[in-house]
Amino acid sequence: MAKDSFVEVKKEVKKKVSEIIEVDENKLKDESKFVEDLGVDSMMALEIVASIEKKYKISIPEVDIPKIRCLNDIYELLEKTIK
Amino acid sequence: MNSVWDINKIQEILPQRYPFLFVDSVIEINEEEGSVSCLKNVSINDYFFKGHFPGNPVMPGVIIIEAMAQASIILYAVLKPEIAAKHPVYYLGNVDIKFLKPVFPGTQLILEVTKEKIMDKAGIISVAAKANNETVAKGRIMFGVQPK
Repeated sequence: MAKDSFVEVKKEVKKKVSEIIEVDENKLKDESKFVEDLGVDSMMALEIVASIEKKYKISIPEVDIPKIRCLNDIYELLEKTIK
Repeated sequence: MNSVWDINKIQEILPQRYPFLFVDSVIEINEEEGSVSCLKNVSINDYFFKGHFPGNPVMPGVIIIEAMAQASIILYAVLKPEIAAKHPVYYLGNVDIKFLKPVFPGTQLILEVTKEKIMDKAGIISVAAKANNETVAKGRIMFGVQPK
């Protein structure tokens, strides 16, 4: 995937996550830990996963979900899976 | 209408009981697609019509939500039978429902639920309630599952 369009993907993901967890985009750092720093609970986590799966038409296996701990992890996953 | 699950099997899965059990039978299970259809016979004998409303019985929207949520638990049990067999606690996390038409006594309310995402500890389900082939309510329910 071209670098420019991935910057756009990152922006979209950040916006979506910020809406779901109700944390201002400006305060949402790429390395902030969802659970420890941002108070994300299991419902919000599920919503994040479901919205990413739907938008980018991918399937995230259940075993991989605990490995997603911050925005950077989502970016990494998407970089690998979307074309 | 043929039942795939009768009331005894339903009660093995759903923790709710009278006056809060709103699934009478399971009429269709599509495991591959991740969907289930259930039936609730809406009767004038349903206790909530006594107060909602005297002389003007209309099924409360919150009860329609509860019925769709109970159908969602059945879908969870179909897809995660081993966890459901241990009777975990199911709790509602988020509800986003539109009501399109009122439901009156005498209706066969069909609860159609389809998985968007189901994991061991939670689920997001697309839900719809239909009466006479018309959608009366639809939306999305999110719930959590906690082992006892």
